[in-house]
Amino acid sequence: MKLLFISIGLFFITSCKEKEELPKKWVFVETIEVKGVNPIGIANVDGQLWLSDGDHNRLVQIDKGGKIMKTIDSLERPMHIDALGKTLYVPEYGKDAIEMIDENGRTVLQMKDSLDAPAGVSVYKKEKAIADFYNNRIIYFDGRNWIAFGKEGKAKGYFYYPTDVQITEDKIWVADAYNNRVQVFDKNGKFLQMMGQDQKMNAATGIFVSDSEVFITDFENDRVLIFDKEGNLKQELSKNIEKATDLIIQDGKLKIINYRNGKINVFNQVAIEPNQADMKK
Amino acid sequence: MKKTVLLTLVIGIMTVFSANAQKKAMDKFMVQVDGLGCPFCAYGLEKKFKEFKGIKAVKIDIETGDFSFKYPAEKALSMQDVEKQVEKAGYTPVSSKIERADGTIEESKGLSETKVAEGKLTSKSLMVAGNCGMCEARIVKAAKSVQGVSEASWNKDTKMMRVGFDATMTALLDIEKAISDSGHDTKNHQTDDATYNALPACCHYDRISQ
Repeated sequence: MKLLFISIGLFFITSCKEKEELPKKWVFVETIEVKGVNPIGIANVDGQLWLSDGDHNRLVQIDKGGKIMKTIDSLERPMHIDALGKTLYVPEYGKDAIEMIDENGRTVLQMKDSLDAPAGVSVYKKEKAIADFYNNRIIYFDGRNWIAFGKEGKAKGYFYYPTDVQITEDKIWVADAYNNRVQVFDKNGKFLQMMGQDQKMNAATGIFVSDSEVFITDFENDRVLIFDKEGNLKQELSKNIEKATDLIIQDGKLKIINYRNGKINVFNQVAIEPNQADMKK
Repeated sequence: MKKTVLLTLVIGIMTVFSANAQKKAMDKFMVQVDGLGCPFCAYGLEKKFKEFKGIKAVKIDIETGDFSFKYPAEKALSMQDVEKQVEKAGYTPVSSKIERADGTIEESKGLSETKVAEGKLTSKSLMVAGNCGMCEARIVKAAKSVQGVSEASWNKDTKMMRVGFDATMTALLDIEKAISDSGHDTKNHQTDDATYNALPACCHYDRISQ
């Protein structure tokens, strides 16, 4: 009987060990070339990838091979876009407006406050956040009211030209571009934490936050830094990355866009043995 | 009587057309700018230019560095004014061209480098603070603007500048001074705060403490 209990115990211990999750890292898979596009933002609309092509004042929808399938023109310097359902949200840097584009047409987001070069937008359920570049602040709508937080500076909670923003369930994450860091706020605009400030980034331009990781593009240094939610650096990606401006995870694949050469570099997440944990590149 | 009315009407219409034509007369400015690497700054500068009263058709092509706009001819904006304004906005002009509304063309070819005989060339390295491609264009142009400098290059990763000059015509300190006047700290010359603050966001490097 005693032996039976020991055997059952051993069985459970072994099963648990087998299910223990191995650490993971992102590895380069392929490069998708998108000809004639200088992408700044990327968004997933109902399974389709859209890019904002700032240099050419348009949005393009591409297929898996990078071929342009649709184009939306007459935008003024569209930047870090986002999507909710089938609606694209487009910050127009040159027009100081956020346009919402869907199958029914185009409308401008109405708000009392005026923007000065919106560089990024994020939508989450009924919430919206805008990186208001020249005003050095974030404007946030909680579904009922708008608030604004931040001003020019280098201290905690201050910004030096924010270029991108993402709302998650309980936080607002900001690419504080020329302070070279990520800043995190609660939904009342209260500063919570910062990360990447010690990584010698040179223009932290685009941000993407997943369930467990924070991705930030380091524009001038041609790399992407990956942090855990506490701000510990987990990995640095640089293979084929040149002047990266934004990134997204689609169907488990990390897609990073290069502004200058229009290439999208795709990375997969793979499990690694702890003793192989060289997380660089 | 009928003829007089008709004549008055024709003269009136012609006067209105002529006034409108004069009102719409615009000079076209084309400036070749260097170092447009960062879209956030480049688009921003384009945006700021659009805010000037009377300016039209402001356009910048990031890939080619072609920056163009139209401005009322009556303002008689000079080449020097344009280049100064472009520099003030953070761009580094290389060459400029104006197509005046009356058909005349004005051109500025930019700096002509000093040619230094091989035996006379002094090469030096110096540290210059900066961040990006826009910094690089500004730093190199500032160095080359000094009489006697024949070559200049700057590496944004190492922050080191290589400069070749005729030591009988200028000295390294003069070159450093020109660079700091453009907004970039060197070991021996620090730019003033106002010039530093006027640089575009992407050019705001960590200051060198003296």
